[in-house]
Amino acid sequence: MPGSQPALLYVFLALPVLYLVGFVGFPIAYNLMMSVQEVNLGNITEFARPFVGLDNYRTVLADESFRKVLVNTLLFVGFNVVAQIGIGLAVALFFAQGFPGAGFLRGLLLCSWMLPALVVGALWKWIFATEYGVANYVLQGLQLTGSPIHWLSDPAVALTSVTLANIWFGMPFSMILIAAALTAIPKEQYEAASLDGAGAGARFWYITLPALRPALLAVASLVTIYTMRAFDLIFAMTQGGPLDASNVLPLLSYQFSFNQFDFGTGSAMGSFAFLIVFAVALIYVRTLKHEEVAG
Amino acid sequence: MAGPVAAQPKTVSLWHPFTLETDMIHGGIKTFNESQNDYRIDARIVPAPQMVTELIKAIASGSVPDLVTLDNPVVASFSAQGTLTDLTERVAKSTTVKPDVYFKGPWASGLWKQRIFAVPRDANTLALCYNADMFKAKGLDPDKPPKTWTELLDAAKALKDPAKNVYGFGFSAVQAEEGVFQFLPFLHQAGGAVDKLDAPEAAEALAFWADMVKDGIASRDVINQRQYEVTNTFMAGNAAMALCGPWELPRLQNEAKFEWRLALLPVKAGKDIAASALGGYNWVVPKGAKSADGAFRFIEFMSDPKILNEGWKTGRLAPRTDVTVADPLWPQAYAIYRKQLESARARGPHPQWPDISRAIQMAMQEAITGAKPPAAALADAARKIKPILAKTPL
Repeated sequence: MPGSQPALLYVFLALPVLYLVGFVGFPIAYNLMMSVQEVNLGNITEFARPFVGLDNYRTVLADESFRKVLVNTLLFVGFNVVAQIGIGLAVALFFAQGFPGAGFLRGLLLCSWMLPALVVGALWKWIFATEYGVANYVLQGLQLTGSPIHWLSDPAVALTSVTLANIWFGMPFSMILIAAALTAIPKEQYEAASLDGAGAGARFWYITLPALRPALLAVASLVTIYTMRAFDLIFAMTQGGPLDASNVLPLLSYQFSFNQFDFGTGSAMGSFAFLIVFAVALIYVRTLKHEEVAG
Repeated sequence: MAGPVAAQPKTVSLWHPFTLETDMIHGGIKTFNESQNDYRIDARIVPAPQMVTELIKAIASGSVPDLVTLDNPVVASFSAQGTLTDLTERVAKSTTVKPDVYFKGPWASGLWKQRIFAVPRDANTLALCYNADMFKAKGLDPDKPPKTWTELLDAAKALKDPAKNVYGFGFSAVQAEEGVFQFLPFLHQAGGAVDKLDAPEAAEALAFWADMVKDGIASRDVINQRQYEVTNTFMAGNAAMALCGPWELPRLQNEAKFEWRLALLPVKAGKDIAASALGGYNWVVPKGAKSADGAFRFIEFMSDPKILNEGWKTGRLAPRTDVTVADPLWPQAYAIYRKQLESARARGPHPQWPDISRAIQMAMQEAITGAKPPAAALADAARKIKPILAKTPL
């Protein structure tokens, strides 16, 4: 029956579209709707709530915390993406050398990634404790610092501390994706290059890196998305403090919604977070398309 | 088939955060279920930090539990916005839940516009924990704990020992409600008030904290320590004295390897205002509960002095004045907390307490990190709180 085939195609096409509309489109649309309404505990069950136009967005933009937290978020995400990919790539290359036990050790690294974020947060809070924490103990033992560093209680340092913790937490994920992409590069290319007299540096630059490009792009966008969501780790480490120094948009949005019960403003903040993720995803998709055309 | 048909008991769904098996709620549920055939309590443990989030989700989806224990400062937000069942009529008819037998603070935390939206389940407050061994080692008399701010400061100075990572005093100034809970006693002792944060009394209280951190008497990490972490540093011997609540007693008993004792919170000499913060859980029945009558029956059951007596086993004080634990565990601690409860003040009640709290948190953090002088930080907080209080005064 040739006629049934297009019909079946439409059915299969409709399923993912319906899924996307239902599980991705609806929450986004609902969040946008809430962000232009006054939503509190009393009317959260109702659908028609007072329309306030862009008031919530004005509140958000006028909020001192928000401006600081927006900058924090960009720094936090930026450093995480660069570091997780850089370190992940280095570690993946290291384990690709295939020494005895490499596979096992690489697997072991993944353990940290499987821990719940709240547990990792508690662990790092302990590591970064000023008086009895491991970080200061080691640094002072090696005489790298004289006085203890106030990792989590100094507003100038707190963001760095939570960034370090999140890099440690997320890096194995990047590493394993990059490692998988590494194995896909045909060995013959390296052999041929070696015969032509290419050194390790040249082989990395002209073979490994171009072959990894799509994978690195995918990892970059995934890390951006995961890092944008990473609020439980920060919640456990600092609750966003001191003075919002380590706060990020999703946590601030959570605080506005579930601590202050101001769901409209919380949603407006959510919209900003969505915009950032959406922009990154768009750049990724466009670049990948470009790659395919070029390739 | 003749014979009596047993009526099917109605299910009353209950959410609570009490994980300790010895908490009175577990025995209470069991006895209540066995004592009658009308209702069955179906309990679900929701971790304390998620309780509000879960309840909001339940309200938003229109399917709420029948009974919830809610942290008392958020009750006003829920009741003022019409999400709780008004219990006024039921309380009026009740023979166990009688408003005049409750401590003022706990009872006030369940009221909104003269209507009763919550019944206190338990109460707690803060006291001064101190390490008697360290007192002796430094030549201080453990039988004479500090009674005033000056004595507290002197003792803390004598007790601190930077070489051993020992601080004189520990408290929580974290950017969360817990920090405010620990700061309010000092604010009130200084003669300050939440609605007058720009007054010099408030600045004195905050300066007292900020200076202790600046002078190395308290750790800079207090800005990031939650209450249980403050107790951790006390138990680990890194703080000689600390603010702690009675809920920590089971842990202190199991884990502290030294002689710990409790004292009433020191007052400010000259002012002599005894003050403490009030904590604890309230029973609330969300609006739309299917079994509100059953829920209230259980509230009455749990409010019986016989059950409330059991609360002290996990460091929960009874919110009623007519309950005295006859033979308490930790008798010294019990006497201190029972006395301290008399001066414990409710936070709010105010529907926008979380906003007020956030403004105070910021001021605390600004002063302690040195970002702003205490007076300036509090003046900014007062400015933020002003429009909120203009709409609904405290």
